[in-house]
Parts: sequence; C-alpha cells; structure tokens
Amino acid sequence: MNGVLPILKKELREIWRDPYTLGIALFLPLILLFLFAYSLNLDVKNIPLAVVDMDNSAESRAYVQAFVNTDKFNLKYYPDKPEEATRLLDQGKAQVVILIPTGFAQTLLGGGEAAVQTLVDGTFPTSARVVQSYVNTINDVFTARLLADHFAGLGVGNNEVLAPAVTAVPRVRYNPAMKSANLIVPGLIGVLLMAFPPLLSALAIVREKETGSIQQIFVSPVRPAAFIVGKLIPYGIIAYIELLLVLLAAQFWFRTPLAGNLGLFLLASVPYVISTVAIGLLVSTVTRTQLTAMLLALVLTFMPSFLFSGFLFPLFTMPAVLQIYSYLFPARYFIEITYDVFLKGVGLKVWLSQLLILSLYTAAIVALAGMRFKKKVG
Amino acid sequence: MNDIIISTKGLAKTYGRGTKKVEAVRGIDLEVGRGQIFGLVGPDGAGKTTTMQMLCGILTPTAGEAVIAGVNVVNNADALGGVIGYMSEGFTLYGNLTVGENIDFFADLYNVPPEVAAERKEQLLRFARMEDARNRRAGHLSGGMKKKLALACTLIYRPRVLFLDEPTTGVDPVSRQDFWKILYEFLSEGITIFVSTPYMDEAERCHQVALLRRGQIIANDTPEALKGMLKGVAAELTAIPQTQAIAELRRMPGVSQMQVFGERLHLLLRDGSGLADAIPARLEEAGVTVSEFETTTPSLEDVFIAAIEDLRAADAPGKPVASLPGNGATQADVLSLTPAEVAGAEPAVSARNLTRRFGEMTAVDRLNFTVKRGEIFGFLGPNGSGKTTTIRMLCGLLPPSEGAATVAGFDISRQRVAMKPHLGYMSQKFSLYNDLTVDENIRFYGDVYGLSAKRLADRRAWVLEMAGLTGKEHLLAKDLSGGWKQRLALGCAILHEPEILFLDEPTSGVDPVSRRQFWDLIFALSLQGITIFVTTHYMDEAEHCHDLGLLYRGRLIARGSPAELRQNMKLGVMVEAPVRDPLAALAALEGAVEIIQSSIFGDKLHALVWEAEPGLEAIERVLSVDQLLTAPPRIVPLSLEDLFTLFIEMEESGRKQGVSRSETSS
Repeated sequence: MNGVLPILKKELREIWRDPYTLGIALFLPLILLFLFAYSLNLDVKNIPLAVVDMDNSAESRAYVQAFVNTDKFNLKYYPDKPEEATRLLDQGKAQVVILIPTGFAQTLLGGGEAAVQTLVDGTFPTSARVVQSYVNTINDVFTARLLADHFAGLGVGNNEVLAPAVTAVPRVRYNPAMKSANLIVPGLIGVLLMAFPPLLSALAIVREKETGSIQQIFVSPVRPAAFIVGKLIPYGIIAYIELLLVLLAAQFWFRTPLAGNLGLFLLASVPYVISTVAIGLLVSTVTRTQLTAMLLALVLTFMPSFLFSGFLFPLFTMPAVLQIYSYLFPARYFIEITYDVFLKGVGLKVWLSQLLILSLYTAAIVALAGMRFKKKVG
Repeated sequence: MNDIIISTKGLAKTYGRGTKKVEAVRGIDLEVGRGQIFGLVGPDGAGKTTTMQMLCGILTPTAGEAVIAGVNVVNNADALGGVIGYMSEGFTLYGNLTVGENIDFFADLYNVPPEVAAERKEQLLRFARMEDARNRRAGHLSGGMKKKLALACTLIYRPRVLFLDEPTTGVDPVSRQDFWKILYEFLSEGITIFVSTPYMDEAERCHQVALLRRGQIIANDTPEALKGMLKGVAAELTAIPQTQAIAELRRMPGVSQMQVFGERLHLLLRDGSGLADAIPARLEEAGVTVSEFETTTPSLEDVFIAAIEDLRAADAPGKPVASLPGNGATQADVLSLTPAEVAGAEPAVSARNLTRRFGEMTAVDRLNFTVKRGEIFGFLGPNGSGKTTTIRMLCGLLPPSEGAATVAGFDISRQRVAMKPHLGYMSQKFSLYNDLTVDENIRFYGDVYGLSAKRLADRRAWVLEMAGLTGKEHLLAKDLSGGWKQRLALGCAILHEPEILFLDEPTSGVDPVSRRQFWDLIFALSLQGITIFVTTHYMDEAEHCHDLGLLYRGRLIARGSPAELRQNMKLGVMVEAPVRDPLAALAALEGAVEIIQSSIFGDKLHALVWEAEPGLEAIERVLSVDQLLTAPPRIVPLSLEDLFTLFIEMEESGRKQGVSRSETSS
C-alpha cells in the first residue's frame, strides 16, 4: 500500500531513538511479570498458628504435632490462656487458634468425644476455607491413627473395620500440582500484553496531534489506512517481542509446564498482539491529549484484561451481565487459549472458535481505527 | 502569467453552537495569482490558522468555497495531496530524527524519486546553511534552524502552492533573513506562497497583503497601495520634557496615534503635512524643547491600526477615534504622567561577571551591566541566547555559576528571600488561572504576596482600573482576549508594588493595538519610578526602551540607547531599490564592494551601504546594467532589526574567522 513504508520506517527510527519508550515497552512487562507472579500466590502455606494446650498431656502434644508435621502450619505462639490467643487473632499475628481443653487425654482415652476448639480468621474467605479444610483433614487423620493404635493395642488388628465405606479418589487434571504459579504466569502473558502495547500505540498518534506534526501527514497524499498500518506494524513487532520475552521468562525462570504445542501458541498470539496495538491506535484516533489517551487505554485494556478475562477470577462465578461484558474484551479469548495450551495441552480443535473470534475482533478494530482516522483537524 | 491559483468565495468557519458559538472566519473572498507571495496579516485569534487549514483541506468550512490549482478544496481535499505544502505553526517535525532523516521522510511520503530527492536535499541544506547540521537531531536545533528545516521538508516535494502559518514567529532576525531568502529562491521557480504573520515588517515583503481582523478581511492590496490608503504622515521627534509634550499633543486635534519610543515620540497625523509643520512651533510655545523633528511615510502597522480604529469608530460612533496613550482604554489616566521622585541613587540592577553554565554549555557568559532606576531596559536577543536564564538568575530562581548581581540593592545569591517582595515577574507564558475569574486571580496573587485585606482592596481597585478591567471582574480569565489577559497578568505582577518589574516576552502573540496599549502602560509605570526589565523578540518594540542590551550566545554584544546604537556604530545607510527581478538584482549586488549586505522585500531590495552617496551610485550603476531598477533607489531609515542582524552577523563572522570586530568594520 502506498505510504505504509515511509511511515513505518520513520516510526521504527523514532522508537529506536527513544530508549526510554523502548525500555518501558520491553522491560517493564518483565518487571511486572515477576512482581505479579510472586505476589499473586493463591496457595495457602505457612499459616501462623497459636495453640493453647490446657491439657498438656502426651495426647495433646501428639495432636499439636500432627499440625506441625504438615508444611502448612507454622506454630508461632504457645500462649497459656485462651484470652491471649484471641488477642493474637485480633492482632492478626495468628490466623488459626487451637484450644485444647483440660481433660483432653482423659476423655479420649476414656472413649469419649474430645472437643477441640478451632478459631479461624475469616477475613479472606478463600484462604479461611482452605485453612478450615486443612484443620478438618488433620483432625480426621489424627482420629484415624488414634483409633488404629487403639485397636492395635487391643489386638483386634483388623483395620478394615475402620475403612470408610466410600472413598473419593480425587485426581486433579491439568494442574496436578495445583500450584497457582502454573496458572498465573501463562495468564499474565495475555494481561501484560494488554497493559503496555496499547499504552504505547495510544500515544503514537496523539503525540503527533500534540506536536502538530500530524498536520503534515494530513496534507500529504498518504491514505488514512496506510498511516494506520504504518503505525500498527512497528508497534506490533515490539508487542510480539514483549510476548517472546515473557514467554522465555515463563519457561526458563518459572519453569511453567507447557502441556501443548508452542508453535501453535505463537501463531495464535499474532491476532491478539495486533488487537492490543490496534485498540491503542483506535483510542488515539478519538483522543486529543496524551493524558486522556493513556487513561482511556488503561480503562479499556488493562483493567478488563485483569478482571474480566478469567485470569484471576473464574468467569463462571460472575453475574450473567458481567459475563456478557467480558466477551467485549479480547483478553478473554486469548487467556482461554493460553490455559488450553499451557495447562490442558489440548489442540487447535478445542480452541479454534476462540481463535476465529479473536481474529475477527482484531480485523474489526483495525478497520474501525482506519475509518476513525480522518485527515482533518478538530 | 498572472493567472489565479487560489480563490475563495464566502469561506467561513463557525465553532460550537448556541451561546458558545464562535465565528472564527466570517466569509472570506480572496484571489491569489500564481507565483506571488500573499501575506495574511492579523493579530492572534483573527482567524489566520483557521483560514489556512481550510485552504489546505484539513478543516471543513462551515460555508463557502475554495479552489486551489483547479482543485475544489471543500469536497475533493484528497486531490490536494502533493499539490500543496503546509507548514503549520510551531515545531511540527520529529525531534528524535536527524535533520537529514526528517527531509528523507517527507521525500518518501511524497514519492520523490531518490536521485531527485538527494539532489534537492543538498540544495536545500545549502540554502538553509545547515549542511553541517544534517546529522543533528531536529529536537536539539535552535528555533530558527527548526523553522528552516520545516521549510526544507515542505520544499523537498516542490508543492505548487506553499502555505506557511506564522513561519517566523519566535525566530531570530538572522534566521528570518535566511528564511525569506529561501522563499524568494523558490518563488522564481513558480511556487506560490501564502504566508500568515503577525509581523508588520514581514508583510512588506509580500506582493499582496490582506489584513484580517475578527475573521474578516478589512483591507487587501499591495503594501504600497495599503500605505497609500492612509492619508496622512508619520512624524518623529525628541521633546523635552517629554510628559509635557505628551499632554500638549493629546490636546491637538489631528494627532491620531502617539507612541513613546524611549526619548522619541512617534506620531501619526491623519490630516496631512500641514499639521506636521506646525507641531514643533506649537510645542515650543508651550515651553517644550523639540529636536530632531522628521516626517516619514506611515508604516503598514500604522495603516493596520488606523484601519482598526476606523472600524471601531464605525462600531461606536461618537467616541474619540484617537488612540493616544491612555485614550484607547482609560487605563493610563489613573497613572499620573508626572515622573515620580526616584528613591535612592543605587542602580536597580547591577551585574558583575554574571555567568551560568548548564553542564558543558555556557548559557550566560560574564555579563556586566547596570540598569538605572525608573528606566525601561530592553533585553534583546535571538531564541536561546540566554535572556530567560538571566531573568531567572536576577529573580533568584536560579543560582549563578559565577559572578554576582544585585537587584534593588539585594544580593541575588545571599538575600533571595528579602529581595522577593521588591520585584515583580511576569513570565513568558500566560501565568494566570484560566478557570478563575479576573477577581479571583487578583485575590489569589494578593494572598500569595501576603497583602493585608485593606491593602489588597486598594490595590485590587487600582489594578482593575489600570488594566481597564472594571466591570469585567466576574469574567473567567480564559474568556478574555489576548490583550486583556496580558494586562491582567501585568496587574497581578505589580499588585505588591514592586520596585523592579521583570517582563519576559510580554507581548508575543498580542495584536498591534493591544501591544501599543501595553507599552503605554509600561511607560506610565516607569514614570512612577518602577524599573522595567523587559525581553522581547519584536525588534520594533526595542524602540520603546531607554536602554538596550543585545544578548547573543550568552554574551552582551551591544549596549546603549536606540539612538546611541544607531549613531555610534556608524553601520551605514539602508537603501531601498525597487527592482524588476529581485533575485537577479540580489545576485548582481553580491560583488559590489560598497554594499555590506542586501535582502529582498517583495519587489524591492534593501541594501546596506557604508555611505549614502557612493552607495546610491553603486546601486544605480550595478542595477542599471540589466535594467533591473524600476524606480530610483532611495534612503530609508535603518530599523533596529537591521541593526541587530548586522551585530549578530559581525559577531558570527568574527567568531568564525577569529577576526576582531574593529578589523571587519574598518
């Protein structure tokens, strides 16, 4: 197309001359990747635990030991009184308090039902729920072992009596280790691509509006579409390099398992990368100042890609209206593809529809940006 | 040959609607012939840029038609691509690209074949005297160089019509000369040039000039014919005591404009020379000593102002037409015209070896000067010469690297806090709050300077009256026109009654009428004993000052009153020669030893010669060889701008060849 090449050449030169922009484009995403990957940890570990052992018997100590033996709890406090334990909970120093009453061992050995009180900080419901289930499991295991010992001591020896009638044998597929990093790191590829490339390309046209150099373009014979494409390609290249950098970090630093085909994924990323840049360009055709362009780009790209893409919060738990809303943003389709490839390892057949939607979406945005860009001032 | 290449009919543009409706351009009818330079002259906000953008097809008109080189601009703007070139206001190139890369980009954009582009690029760089700068980043160039580069970028694709929007605003005189030289070079190739400018002296370089005011063309003709429209003469005189002379002249009917240029008074007499002859005698009768009385033809600026006054008179019949100091608006009347006793004999500003370096670069280099109390001191110089840096140091905003200075008797390095209440500062950009009203702005500055409630009330009333803003207290600052804003900013800067007022380019972008009113105010303030330290790039404004300093590359290269500078430098005489082919004439004069320098003004040549008689003879001799002269050459007054261009060029050649100034000028 006549006019694409001069714009493209000029744009690449300008980007190359501006090390700050280039640095922001390439290294800030990496920095954010590390920050997010380490801070957005959904695994519950090292739960601070306080125990009030009023029984102080061999049995009560064995019970506490059952908690310490898992790597989930960190026994930090051993207060004497229940009041002190509640204070620790109030101050947030302990997340869980276990109160073992006097006569614990006695009741237990006497065949009675010993009650242990567990206090859980429920401020964060998800982690509280996890903590609760840990406590219940440890409790069950402890009881079972105690019973087993008891029967063994009696010489009954038939442990089968104790086996539950039905056992659920859970097998977690797709992320067998259930490590949240395996979910977050690939998910961040899509999120970070929605953060930086649109921001840069949103400034690309508005900056020329602010300096006035765009007026020289207006009077030139360059077609609007050629101008948009000439801007799209260099920023698209940068965005793709950004994708590769994040991918490299995921593979070699975070060692995120990649179940599916990398080549296919790289191919599927192309329309997404173009869509990120095109959204930025579209924003820059409707705004006049760099500040509004940046804010609008953030609101349109980064925020929805974080909240409504299924990256952090599963979409099926959202109200129907918001689920529909999430279809408006391309990150949703891309992150689905990412999880399919990285975690499920399923082939093109499964996510072909997502890829098609993404490609159509991208084509529409590019066309809209080309149409919105008028060679007129004001 | 003289066919029409630009024509418009009822071209109009309206922004907004309802009460917010602004008629930026109200029906313009124009015709421009091929190969002409057409000048669109008018103050800021008159509609120059809007008109130009409509002609370039990048702004859709509300009504009317425009045809350029046979292309209908309104409904077929795409067909203009490559036919026209447009250089918009401000710096519109890519700062991160080099000079060469910017030119290449435009050559690419317009599909200029590479061999042709390479050849033109060399030619343009040579014309612009920028061959050495080709690998420098455009963003790092000086203002003048940026403009020359922008021009080169539009000329690389040889448009048939070139639109230039205020191409030389904020550009130093030397670059302006270069700029115009390039334009004339291409004019001879048949390019038509449509240029807008707020500089009246530049308008004289055009073949045809249209005066634009509030979106309407109020006059449109050749500069000669426009000047002929104004019946009357301009007169200049030195009168002592000046204030008494002003009072006398104000009472004389027929004196329609009066400006104070330092010690000189500039008058416009609408009734013709009869009055002019009578003036010296009538002033002498009143006890005023008159010397150096001379009459001249009115300048284009006089014409422009007179045209606006006539319109105003038509708008509001019965009101006096004259714009004597204080008459246009009532402001200066509140200020007494009797000089106040100047307290203290110590100078207002005194600088010794004042130096400021930024890294490797020396922005201000060992300045030594004093400014007397109650004086208007003009600090002149091209962009980037160090004017603003000096003002910032004197206001205590920037510590000097070396040297010292006192302002109002305070040391700028050691007594910064104590000094502040004694000085006022009005910065280059509009420094008021657009979303506050006039009154709120004044109160805000009163609070900032810690004025008591009573004093603020007094000063507020005084400022409102002085600025002519009484009755406009509740308008938002952004709704004021350029001239009013300027006066409000001035009012805020003197709210706390400073002894010294620093004004950094106070009149850039203000129309001629408002500029004159502003200078009247400054003059009245100086009579009250306030010292005014003002920078400007309008060289004609330098005439208003008592004392001048010319700064170039951080160094003070000339000092003295306007009259002293003219007399002492013995720089020669300016000769104006009307010619048939300006470029050929310019080339012919190049070799003549009697001529220091020459430049093109429309179909005339301005040549600076060492001495009047031999100079005139030489010009007649050289130009009559090819019958280039169309009328006999005559001597015209040397403007301060000519003077400064010469100073700077001498400084340049001295620097380059390592020859001292005395050697070059002897």
